[in-house]
Amino acid sequence: MTNQLLNVRGLETQFNTPEGIVHAVNGVSFSLDEGETLGVVGESGCGKSVTMLSCLKLVPMPPGKIVAGHAFFKGEDMLTMDNDEIRKVRGAQISMIFQDPMTSLNPVMSIGKQMAEPLMLHLGITKEQARNRSIELLEMVGIPQAADRLKDYPHQYSGGMRQRVMIAMALSCMPQILIADEPTTALDVTIQAQIVDLVKRLREELGMAIIWITHDLGVVASIANRVSVMYGGFIIEEAPVKDLYAEPLHPYTIGLLNSLPKINREERQRLYSINGMPPMLFKKPKVCPFAPRCEFVKDHCWQENPVLESYGRDGHRVACWVDVTSGRER
Amino acid sequence: MTNYIIRRLLLVPVLLAGVTLIIFGMLQLLGPVERSALYVVDFPKNEKQIDAVIKRYGLDDPFFVQYWRWLVGVQRPDTQGNIVRDGGILYGDFGYSRTASQEVIDIIKNRFPNTLDLALWTIFPMLSVGIWMGVKAAVNQNKFFDQAARIYSIIGTSFPTFVFGLLLLMLLYANNQWFLPGKMSDWVSILIYSGEFKQYTHLLSIDALLNLRLDIFWDALRHMIMPIITLSYISWATFVRVTRSSMLETLRMDYVITARSKGLKEADVINKHARPNAMLPVVTMMGGSIVGLLGGVVITETVFNYPGIGKAAADAAAQLDVVTILGLAIFTGLILIISNLVVDILYAFIDPRVRLS
Ligand SMILES: Nc1ncnc2c1ncn2[C@@H]1O[C@H](COP(=O)(O)OP(=O)(O)OP(=O)(O)O)[C@@H](O)[C@H]1O
Ligand code: SF4
Ligand SMILES: [Mg+2]
Repeated sequence: MTNQLLNVRGLETQFNTPEGIVHAVNGVSFSLDEGETLGVVGESGCGKSVTMLSCLKLVPMPPGKIVAGHAFFKGEDMLTMDNDEIRKVRGAQISMIFQDPMTSLNPVMSIGKQMAEPLMLHLGITKEQARNRSIELLEMVGIPQAADRLKDYPHQYSGGMRQRVMIAMALSCMPQILIADEPTTALDVTIQAQIVDLVKRLREELGMAIIWITHDLGVVASIANRVSVMYGGFIIEEAPVKDLYAEPLHPYTIGLLNSLPKINREERQRLYSINGMPPMLFKKPKVCPFAPRCEFVKDHCWQENPVLESYGRDGHRVACWVDVTSGRER
Repeated sequence: MTNYIIRRLLLVPVLLAGVTLIIFGMLQLLGPVERSALYVVDFPKNEKQIDAVIKRYGLDDPFFVQYWRWLVGVQRPDTQGNIVRDGGILYGDFGYSRTASQEVIDIIKNRFPNTLDLALWTIFPMLSVGIWMGVKAAVNQNKFFDQAARIYSIIGTSFPTFVFGLLLLMLLYANNQWFLPGKMSDWVSILIYSGEFKQYTHLLSIDALLNLRLDIFWDALRHMIMPIITLSYISWATFVRVTRSSMLETLRMDYVITARSKGLKEADVINKHARPNAMLPVVTMMGGSIVGLLGGVVITETVFNYPGIGKAAADAAAQLDVVTILGLAIFTGLILIISNLVVDILYAFIDPRVRLS
């Protein structure tokens, strides 16, 4: 058995807003092994980012609050660590990159200075050494004339280049886990592919585990070993990537897969979309959160919220009362 | 950066032309007859006299002829027959103030140091404390310090200056004379006239320090404290409010989360990443405050009988002394242009997007 790096149990995070308490994450459990790549998919607002930010205690508090759960990193619960302890994990052992490279770098600080920060902090090296290391890192992610570009500011880089800088910075201290929160959503299609290829190459070279959050099931298929599907603050299905695509078990996952454009079909197919709106999260759901939009809904679904349980092949887990192949309750 | 500064400096003459054109243009809204009244000391007895004045000063010449003459003055023979220049604001000749019985430029020379003295003692505490409070309030959003700062800034921005000033006068002067209106005590002005006290800068408080006269420094402060408080409480409130909201917005930015995700200490996240970004709108506002303070704070200087530019303007306005008001308006315009220049350069210094564009 490979080593388990991250083990999140029963994570619950809420936001206290003027309109009421938003139940953003409602008891999420997942794990990540050494060297593994986990894809996390789900529509906007389902709690993907908040889940990952919570693990590193990075949700803004207030208004956010982690109300329950554990996030064990190599056996130690990060949620009970004090500020100094968790700072030694952040950026050194678990790094993050974000959706919008236009806003995730500080606009008034030079790239060189921003890159040097984690290096000097976690590796305890000098400014000069950090500079040299930064040049190597920028070259590693494919930034030409890296030495001359350290003094530049983020607005002098293109979107794709900034995301490369973010990746270089995130990997600078050789973390064991890279959390990529929709790192390609804000980029053009060709640049997206380059960034995905870059991360794949770096994964080969450096061997870190990756959590890749995205809307794009196509990208997940190409990069992940395993996929978690989130809905309304829950993980509702989890499976090795091949099984999920071959045999989706949750009506929501089926809907998501159907909404992918099929490139191999001749006729241009209209995008399938799931009817209805994502759930409002002002109340913690007591019934299946997908029930209002589900084609397979049964009475039971309105009475009790299904829990994530193993079903079908090894490693395939789903939270649904109904067997979608037969249309009957299990 | 150098490029940016040069480009910005090239703008100055354009702005100057604009400001002078507007101010001169406003005066031209009056007809030649009305303007001639500015030059005739007594009420004119007959139309001939008016016509003579209009002719002598060319008050019915085309607009730009008059504007040019106003800028550079005219050449006239003096009593000895030598040709001399008369007027011309470009040469610093702003005209003669009939109510103050001196050249307008001398009013500025006498009064501006007093206004500057007051402004210096207001700006620096205001900037440092206002920004400090705003940042601290934002970082401790909704906690006690934040609530207190918010209440203060609401009261501060809604309490009228003259009421506040009069209250201060009542409490700190009328009741027990801790602090005094005016600029200095008699014994200080006697000392200054005697020439024993060297005026290096003409800012009384600074000169007092340079002369190592703490008694005079204390006297200057005693006269300035009430106007300083009056000027500060509003601007502090505004600075706290703007800094706080800018900081709150910045703290929600992605790059702040990036900074935390790198493992930086919270103090570094705030001081190195959030605060420099949050300062950008504050710097812009600072420009306005500085112009306000240097252009003469009319109400405050009047309430405390403080002999600055603002008081001079108020006195001139009360006596319909158009020449003086015009001169002071031009001077204020000049200050506006210079402070905006300074603020823009400062802004570029903080924000590479401006500097390197
Ligand atoms: N700072 C916050 N204050 C209040 N509510 C928040 C905050 N951050 C997130 N939320 C709420 O938490 C829920 C989950 O948000 P989250 O950002 O995790 O979604 P997501 O799955 O990452 O979506 P996206 O794909 O758009 O990034 C949303 O309903 C959102 O409104
Ligand atoms: S539990 Fe019921 S409502 Fe929920 S997804 Fe399954 S079938 Fe649909
Ligand atoms: Mg997100």
